[in-house]
Amino acid sequence: MRYLAHRLIHATLLLLAISFFSFALLQLAPGDYFDSMRLNPQMSRQTLTGMRSEYGLDRPLPVRYGHWLVSLLHGQLGVSLASRGPVAPVLRVRARNTLVLSGTATLFAWLLALPIGIWSATKRGGWADRIWSVATSALLTIPDLVLFLGLLLLAIRTGWFPTGGMRTEAAADLGLWSSAKDFALHLILPAFGVALVSLPVLVRHIRAAMIEALDSPFLRAARGHGIPNSRLLFRYALPAASNPLISLLGFSVATMLSVSALAEIVLSWPGLGPLLVESILSRDVYVVVAIVMLSSVFLVAGNLFADLLLFASDPRIRME
Amino acid sequence: MTHRHKLWGALILLACFHALVFFAGFFAPYDFATHNRELAFAPPTRIHFVDAQGKFHARPFVYGLKNDPANSGIYATDSTQVYPVHFFERGSAYKLAGIFPSRLHLFGVDDPGRIFLMGTDAFGRDQFSRFLYGGRISLMAGWIAAGLSLLIGIIVGTLAGFYGGWIDQILMRGGELFLALPWLYLLFAVRAALPLHIAEWQVFLLLIAVMGLIGWARPARLIRGVVLSAKERNFVLAARGFGASDAYVICRHVLPQTYGVVLTQMTLLIPQYVLAEVTLSFLGLGVSEPMPSWGTLLAALQQYYVLSSFWWMFLPALFLIPVFLLYYAAADALQERLSSVPL
Amino acid sequence: MARTPNRKSSRKSSWYGEGTLRMDARPQLALDRREPLVRVQHLSKQYVQRRPLTRAKFTVQALDDANLTIWRGTTLALIGESGSGKSTLARCLALLEKPSGGAIWFAGENLLELNAKDHSKFHRRIQLIFQDPTSALNPRLSAAEIVAEPLAIQREGTKISRRRRALELMEQVGLPARWEHKRPLEFSGGQRQRLAIARALALEPQLLILDEALSSLDLANQEMLLELLADLQAAHSLTYLHISHDLRLVSQCADEVAVMNERKIVEQKSAAELFANPEHPYTRELLAAMPSLESICLERSA
Repeated sequence: MRYLAHRLIHATLLLLAISFFSFALLQLAPGDYFDSMRLNPQMSRQTLTGMRSEYGLDRPLPVRYGHWLVSLLHGQLGVSLASRGPVAPVLRVRARNTLVLSGTATLFAWLLALPIGIWSATKRGGWADRIWSVATSALLTIPDLVLFLGLLLLAIRTGWFPTGGMRTEAAADLGLWSSAKDFALHLILPAFGVALVSLPVLVRHIRAAMIEALDSPFLRAARGHGIPNSRLLFRYALPAASNPLISLLGFSVATMLSVSALAEIVLSWPGLGPLLVESILSRDVYVVVAIVMLSSVFLVAGNLFADLLLFASDPRIRME
Repeated sequence: MTHRHKLWGALILLACFHALVFFAGFFAPYDFATHNRELAFAPPTRIHFVDAQGKFHARPFVYGLKNDPANSGIYATDSTQVYPVHFFERGSAYKLAGIFPSRLHLFGVDDPGRIFLMGTDAFGRDQFSRFLYGGRISLMAGWIAAGLSLLIGIIVGTLAGFYGGWIDQILMRGGELFLALPWLYLLFAVRAALPLHIAEWQVFLLLIAVMGLIGWARPARLIRGVVLSAKERNFVLAARGFGASDAYVICRHVLPQTYGVVLTQMTLLIPQYVLAEVTLSFLGLGVSEPMPSWGTLLAALQQYYVLSSFWWMFLPALFLIPVFLLYYAAADALQERLSSVPL
Repeated sequence: MARTPNRKSSRKSSWYGEGTLRMDARPQLALDRREPLVRVQHLSKQYVQRRPLTRAKFTVQALDDANLTIWRGTTLALIGESGSGKSTLARCLALLEKPSGGAIWFAGENLLELNAKDHSKFHRRIQLIFQDPTSALNPRLSAAEIVAEPLAIQREGTKISRRRRALELMEQVGLPARWEHKRPLEFSGGQRQRLAIARALALEPQLLILDEALSSLDLANQEMLLELLADLQAAHSLTYLHISHDLRLVSQCADEVAVMNERKIVEQKSAAELFANPEHPYTRELLAAMPSLESICLERSA
């Protein structure tokens, strides 16, 4: 219990620090959203000053941070200068889209990585292991950007997949099955891309964890008792390897909001990534801070979750 | 192939590539900003050794390009205009390594012939030359930013590991802060904090500073680990027994133990930072036109029609892969070497 | 002060396969002609550690009211089982650790109340030789650099003079000067320990603490090193504190023996007396574990 409390406090402090850091960072930037409007001859200076003070952009930094914190506690994330409305609803939609994409991608990645990792571990040193090792290394060297551009090229050249977006315009009119199919078609390419990007690291870690479990003395003893290999693998080795796998899962969950950012931008998936870039380019401060905070919350929470799972499942850690 | 072969092979190839990029002015036939508006989106020029009459020429040559008046944008080769490729010829002026003015180019053709090894872009600029010049920017950004990160990492890691206590706590907590933020988002956010429209070289420097300042946390942690184990070694204790000061112990005994880790981190960080610069420039958040960077070269691909009709625009992306491959191979070989050296 | 005569010849055959000890080989120094070089009084040392997860603090007592006297020019052997605090005591003496309480008197000054400048001075006078010579030598440095390091740290002389002195020291411990560029890993275990000794002698210390320095060597090397140490002691008027758990070794080289048990010194006597008439029950246990000693003690007392 003490451990839990300690970790929670630690996580909260970390998040507070992150929020202050990102907030301060953005406020320190010269110029703001309304700078672009200054060029418009129809906007007088007074109007601009008025708008500035309406959004509280002329108050000093600590005051604005304080206000932001208070509104955070009320569930408000500030105001989007671009859409002139609260940030939260905008974020909610985009975050949902991102989670759908990265959730699917994580699922794909694990569905692929687990068999590959386990197979490589059991056939360690053999041709299968070596082939997979080369393949994952090759995948690792391809920069993410190039991979996504390549997928885009594939979509364009073959026409099998739509080249971006989440749905086609007319999808709403179609029946449930067709619109679901349409959605799936749009989802596949970016999800696959993101899965490929996270695959090499996953495979490497899974393989290492399985090898460690397979090499452990208790497993060799079990093998000596004549227990068949398949049973050994699934009933003995896999549970033993579950510790590092759990923290790996936590890590996957933790990065769910940020890993798909680039894919969303290149493949025009309406998630948090493109929103972030837009907001940066237009200096929509509160949106940027909110996005950074949200993904940090995910990261911290994911890691914390993994640690707690580990703590709960491994009796060795609980006994000091 | 032993890891030694792998290491030296990768390093030599990398050195060759970097030399290519460093002396971009010499290897590139054109400047990165030279427009040829009438030759926008020209495909890569074919080099021929055998002419239309079937005669073999020892010196390669290219044909002239003709804009098809009916379909603008489609180019036809004009075999009546033959331009032999000259080597070591004098061409446009440039500064070798940015310092020495020179006019010597490795290869080129006489005007009005053009040799576009990788085709041209929307402004008719030679992609091959832009690739080399752009590599300069991207690689330099990667190297300097990685160096900065490592420098900060070494200082922080050594202080935290050596002195422990509250210094360690503060520094490592600070590092956690940086690690807790998704680096891509952090990069964007910090970039957002910078003014959007400032002079090119300032953008470049700021970009490097930003990238370098973000990524120190992981190397710092690794170096701290090395320092922690190094400071307990008996020869450090012995040196203390002779009255050595902290500074002496750190410089003479502890830091040399970190060299291996530093080197490996370097080979891992450089491609990461190069990619960061490329991503930022791709999104328009990095260096801006007309300064070439691999990112700006790839930015054109964001338009579908470019991606679908002009395949050569994808070439810079493809050529990125071997560069990264070499870096990772070097990093791998270094890791193996480190773990096999006793000590 | 009288120098003990060269005991080389008397030591040679003491351990060859018999397990007997030559107690008569060591002449006793007249009691009234000895002066204490080091006096350890009520020394205690505690470590504070934290439990891994809950971070609760708990203290570990490494030394508890230890008292010791080392007479100038002699060899004091400190024996005891592992965990009794021998190494901690050695490190406190060598100024590598700060004790929690008590006093260490060295030639009339309390080592625990030194300022930084004097600290450095005393580092020159007390040196420690570690058990594992491999870890005590930086594998990246050459032999000459290692031996010259103390001089470099204390900023004595020039690079050239330091190198010359390093080569001199190497010759003194029996390592040829032409090996100056070799790395520690190219030396054998015994040679590495010689290198460590050469390094320790660089600053002309008065007290040399050997923390199980011979334990990791084979018997032949032990013998050779013991000879070397005896020669050096005679040549440079050194005082040794020999920490060991090997009673055979102790019996060959010690003038006095102190027994450490449970972080305290329970007995300190001249070697002959200790082996003949052990007082403390722990000492008796220790000696009883060595049958050949028993027989000798019985012989002598008979």
